[in-house]
Amino acid sequence: MESLSRISSLLETARDLTLEASASLPSRRPIKPLPPVQIKKLLDSRSERDVLDGLRRVIAMQYAQPPQPTLTFFPAVLKTLSNPYPSTRPLVYNYLIHHAELDPDTALLSINTVQKSLSDHNPRVRAMALKTMAGIRVPVISQIVSLAIKKGVSDLSPLVRKAAALACVKCVRLDETTRPQVEEYLGVLLGDKQYYVAGAAVQAFVEVCGTDDKLEMIHPCYRRLCRMVVDMDEWGQLAWLRLGTVYARRCFPRRTKRTKRVQTREQHAKDFYEDLEPQEEAEQEAEYDEQEVMDPDLTLFLTSTQPLLQSRNSAVILAVAKAYLYLSPATYLQHAIGPLIALLRSPQDIQQVALHNIVQVCLAHPQHFVPYQRHFLLKSTEPSDIRGLKLEILTLIFPFCSKEIQNLVLAELEHFSRSPNPLLVRESVRAIGRCAQSPNVATSKRCMTLLLDQIHSTDHNLVGEAMEVIRHLIQRTPNEHRKTVVRLAKNLDHLTSPTARASIVWLVGEFAGQDIGEGVAADVLRILLKGYVGEEEGVRAQIVLLAAKVYLGWLNSRKNTNGNDGAVDGGNADTGLILSGVDDDGEDRGFREETAVSEIEKPQPIELLWQHTLLLARYTPSYHLRDRARLYRALLSTPSSTELASLLLLAPKPVPQAPSPSEARRNYLVGSASLIVGEGLGSVDSLPDWVEEGKEPDSGVRDEGEVRQEYGGKVEGAKEVSAGQRLDEVLATKKGKTLDAWLNDEEESGDGSGSEDATSDEATEGSSDEESEYESESDDDEQAGLVR
Amino acid sequence: MSAIEAVYIFDEHNNLLLSHTYTGRPSPPSVLLPLYLQHAAPRSSVLYFPSLNPSTVLYSIIQDNLLFFSPSSGTDSGEPLLVLEFLHRVADALEEFLGSPLLASKIAGNYDVVAQILAEIADAGVVCQGEANALRDVVETGPGVLNNLLGKVGLPGNASVPGLSGGGGSLGIGGSGGLQRPGSGISSLQPAQTAQGSAIPWRRSNVRHTSNELYVDIVETLSVTLAPSGRPLAAFAYGSIAFTSKVSGVPDLLLSLSTGGKGAGMGHRGDQLRSVMERTVFHPCVRLARWKSEGVLSFVPPDGRFALCGYEVDLLGADTPLTAGKNAYSSLGLPAGVEVTTGLGSSGNDFEVRLTQPSNSGAAGSAAAASLQSNLGGGGGLGSRPSSFRAGAAGSGDSKGPSLENLVVRVPLPTTVRNVTELRPSKGEAHWSPVDGCVEWKVAAKDFGPMGAVLRCTIQGPLAADGDDAGAVLNGLTATTYDYNDDEPSAYQAGEKDEKHSNGLSVPVSREAKVAKSRELMPTSATLSFGVKGWLASGLKVESLLLDNKKSRGLGQEVKPYKGVKYLTVSREGIEVRC
Repeated sequence: MESLSRISSLLETARDLTLEASASLPSRRPIKPLPPVQIKKLLDSRSERDVLDGLRRVIAMQYAQPPQPTLTFFPAVLKTLSNPYPSTRPLVYNYLIHHAELDPDTALLSINTVQKSLSDHNPRVRAMALKTMAGIRVPVISQIVSLAIKKGVSDLSPLVRKAAALACVKCVRLDETTRPQVEEYLGVLLGDKQYYVAGAAVQAFVEVCGTDDKLEMIHPCYRRLCRMVVDMDEWGQLAWLRLGTVYARRCFPRRTKRTKRVQTREQHAKDFYEDLEPQEEAEQEAEYDEQEVMDPDLTLFLTSTQPLLQSRNSAVILAVAKAYLYLSPATYLQHAIGPLIALLRSPQDIQQVALHNIVQVCLAHPQHFVPYQRHFLLKSTEPSDIRGLKLEILTLIFPFCSKEIQNLVLAELEHFSRSPNPLLVRESVRAIGRCAQSPNVATSKRCMTLLLDQIHSTDHNLVGEAMEVIRHLIQRTPNEHRKTVVRLAKNLDHLTSPTARASIVWLVGEFAGQDIGEGVAADVLRILLKGYVGEEEGVRAQIVLLAAKVYLGWLNSRKNTNGNDGAVDGGNADTGLILSGVDDDGEDRGFREETAVSEIEKPQPIELLWQHTLLLARYTPSYHLRDRARLYRALLSTPSSTELASLLLLAPKPVPQAPSPSEARRNYLVGSASLIVGEGLGSVDSLPDWVEEGKEPDSGVRDEGEVRQEYGGKVEGAKEVSAGQRLDEVLATKKGKTLDAWLNDEEESGDGSGSEDATSDEATEGSSDEESEYESESDDDEQAGLVR
Repeated sequence: MSAIEAVYIFDEHNNLLLSHTYTGRPSPPSVLLPLYLQHAAPRSSVLYFPSLNPSTVLYSIIQDNLLFFSPSSGTDSGEPLLVLEFLHRVADALEEFLGSPLLASKIAGNYDVVAQILAEIADAGVVCQGEANALRDVVETGPGVLNNLLGKVGLPGNASVPGLSGGGGSLGIGGSGGLQRPGSGISSLQPAQTAQGSAIPWRRSNVRHTSNELYVDIVETLSVTLAPSGRPLAAFAYGSIAFTSKVSGVPDLLLSLSTGGKGAGMGHRGDQLRSVMERTVFHPCVRLARWKSEGVLSFVPPDGRFALCGYEVDLLGADTPLTAGKNAYSSLGLPAGVEVTTGLGSSGNDFEVRLTQPSNSGAAGSAAAASLQSNLGGGGGLGSRPSSFRAGAAGSGDSKGPSLENLVVRVPLPTTVRNVTELRPSKGEAHWSPVDGCVEWKVAAKDFGPMGAVLRCTIQGPLAADGDDAGAVLNGLTATTYDYNDDEPSAYQAGEKDEKHSNGLSVPVSREAKVAKSRELMPTSATLSFGVKGWLASGLKVESLLLDNKKSRGLGQEVKPYKGVKYLTVSREGIEVRC
């Protein structure tokens, strides 16, 4: 996440100018191209400078866009291998790897020379040769490669062993049949005492065997790897975290014990809200908490990875967070939250990925993110997907926040709902809607008020979005919002947004058409019909639907009253409609009486309205709407049989769900690509389940035996200490030596301490000291390390 | 499982510059680029193309106008952050070898170096060496201008190995004398380390410098959000410490920072520091234990320039109540503030941006005078550092006279704004760019005094704004109460009359309506950018930078490296005020 080029760009103001200047320049060809004949001559030359120059030209041609043909130089390039100049080697090897596949026969000519380099005295040359050999993609040589790896595995120099580990991957890719041998080599390399060899071995293991297979190979070196992880390079750490997470699921059964619940602050807050819901029966349960009982080896893994949370590599931080989330959310996850927030400092590309993952963690454990709400405030300069994710996090933590913060969040959402960007408006209005689903009544009321305010905005888009969300909210709890519907109906007079109008008309039809009697709905219909011509199509469709519902309601009520000994009082028409409980406020009275009166005067106004609607609809340009009207006409043609129509028109609608947008991604793993693109990519999208109690491998398999490695007949005493510590150590023992002497001694420095790990598994008990032991460089700790 | 399949680099015109395939048969760049460009402008760094066979996830970053791609196909879609970090490392490594900034022509001219870097940084797709400096040991840069410019580098195998050549390889690499390059007279040092590999994975072996120098650059990026009232909602400074070490041998350094008074009462110095510098991340060279116990950075640096540490500072303090007053902004000590007032003028289509200087700002004082005095500002580049850093003398000379520069206010306007008819800045220059849809106002630092500066703009909305709409709007606004009174059965009738009434075009449009209309055209935010040299928002200071002579190797006792320190606070549209 800390990228030097990013800091440089901040420091150097002239940089932008340089970039601009370069953009206007033709970018190509500082080197003058030469004809192939001349390049060949250069390659055949005896002077190192010329050969190097020729090689550089060949490589440049190979990479140039569009690529130029370079295959013709193959023999000439290979001939340079016989030159004694080491400086040409990397370029030749590069060429060889690149072209081997195209001309395998010529490539095979070089194998002998490369093989000779495998026994060079210079480890770098050996490592490079091994790397190159494995990289030649000619399947015939797979056995030779395998042999070369075998030799490399027992090499004296860790550089070569690292190359051997990486070559394992290429070897298996080249030829599947070498897998058993390669696994054998990997087994040895995993136990390597040099941290960067072990790191590379873990990487290779994950590549070759995946994370699910051959876990038994990990057992003997599990504890050692745990302790070495701090010193591995970032990529080794990543591989180990990935492997370790799966390993832990497979090998440590989840044990829990019930303990009396400890009231933490978060839980207090949670209880506060939970009280509002009827959860009395759960109360008894809640007194006790399931507490994780962790295997000491699992604890070792989790504590040993804790220092990695300060890694500069965002992938490592996320991988640790992932391990904590899936292995021990209760105890360890909280340590990873701060570092996750730190990822928001990274460049935008990483920030976006990080936010996706934060949302995923937040879905499961929102309370952890409450203290960091300030980090999720939106910025106007951010791209829309980052804003969307931030809004989502804000709504997720909303129910857990204090009232002040809730105010802040709502103000934030309100501000962005007035933005000129339609996408942002939609996102923020929906976010308010999600906040309104909070179990706290007062909060949801405030959100509702906020949304209702939005209706008066002059921004059509905003009004439409707000209305949509209001409609959802009303549908969720229709009984609480009876009056709201009436209020909304009143807004029809001046609302101009077609989507909003359509929504309101639908709501009136759904919730006022029957319950409150024909009053509001019929009246709304009457007014709307006058302006029918001026309405947009969507609104018209809703008006026709409303008319059908009103007419149906009227028919139903008439049927009922006729059945009830012909009681003529139209005002009590709704007695037969018992779709949902009617609360008889006094306010409803006015309408009913009014309509009752009007009904007596004009016998069938609703029927007339219905006929009028059908007439209007019949001459609508939209055939869709005409079809609709015809359907309703047929449905309601026989006033005596309304059962089918009731079934169709008055069917209870499913309550709309407005889950958090990322809810759909919930099943994807934190850190996976599937989570980001929102689609299952077929890769491993889930961790294995916890192993069942009793089926796990015995913990004894992880005991470290007296495995001693012999490298070329000589013990290489590379210990599990970090480079810095090693340095300190050398300094402590070899005070006053010159650098040259010290550097020459380097190789033998560890000789005496080869047996130090025999008792080291005891150290796993004291997990509290662990951490300091691994990465401390201070003198005291170093002493301890030596004693151990 | 997580292998990198290929790296493609495009130049600023989206011409392919380089493609390097690691493993497998990834989709070629010519296929990926059009698909990538299909997506709208702020493109996601992770894109999924199910239409390709095999379906491909494309990871991309943009660095210095260059576009880096890494496709990942099939079921192995990789870990997104791993691939993105890898791409950033590639960019960093290229920059280390080719110089900063990274230019297309530099890559095109050094394909051989680039090819080696790419091959070394990941072996057949398995990322194995992310440390740019360590790559110096293995990448052959060859003779040439580049090599001389970058200084002499220990080249692998180049060294003849007097002590070992006896056991000579059949190829006779040793002994037969490679090209003697300038400066390789030190070859007596090379063999052991080259053979062994550097003891420290992040530092190249065998470092030699004629002038020994150490530079600390602390850069803080501001991210401040202000409520319309001017009250800060959030204020963070994101800091990075870039370290440049040009010291021979293997130096062991100790960098102590002080908080400049913040976090007092939080226990000893280390605790204070850690309470100010939150959520730190470190280069692997930093000894975490020392940081945890003493709050100092103890490390053996890589050679050259690297990012030592990243941190963030909550300028408001974690426990500041959200209801903090308006003056909380000035307590942040920032050198400039911005306020926006909208809906001014007779028809409400004016707005005013006010650039202020908070009374007790840390960078107060005449900027002009400061820039003269500043011993840190001025030249700016790495090479010219007139001030020498005196250890332990923090606060005496370094932070005096910080200089403010590049003061820019940007006000994004809604897309419906047709024109900005009037721009009246009291100081500086302002212009409206219809393409970006924003007003940009630049104020020269020397013009910006304690009195602040004001910009007033008049904007013009779309042509279609006529009285009809306004009438409807007016109605919408008057109906501010939605307490519907059911006892008034005539409510609908009344509404209807209103509607009729307002539909008539004869109704004169009141000022209120105009204001409401132009409210939609008003900006909703404004951002402030600036840079301050010689000052940090967090108040952090370098207290001392010590070279531990006992632990360091290869540096003579008498050598005292030249030390320099540079502070910089920048706001890249980082201060945002809402309105």
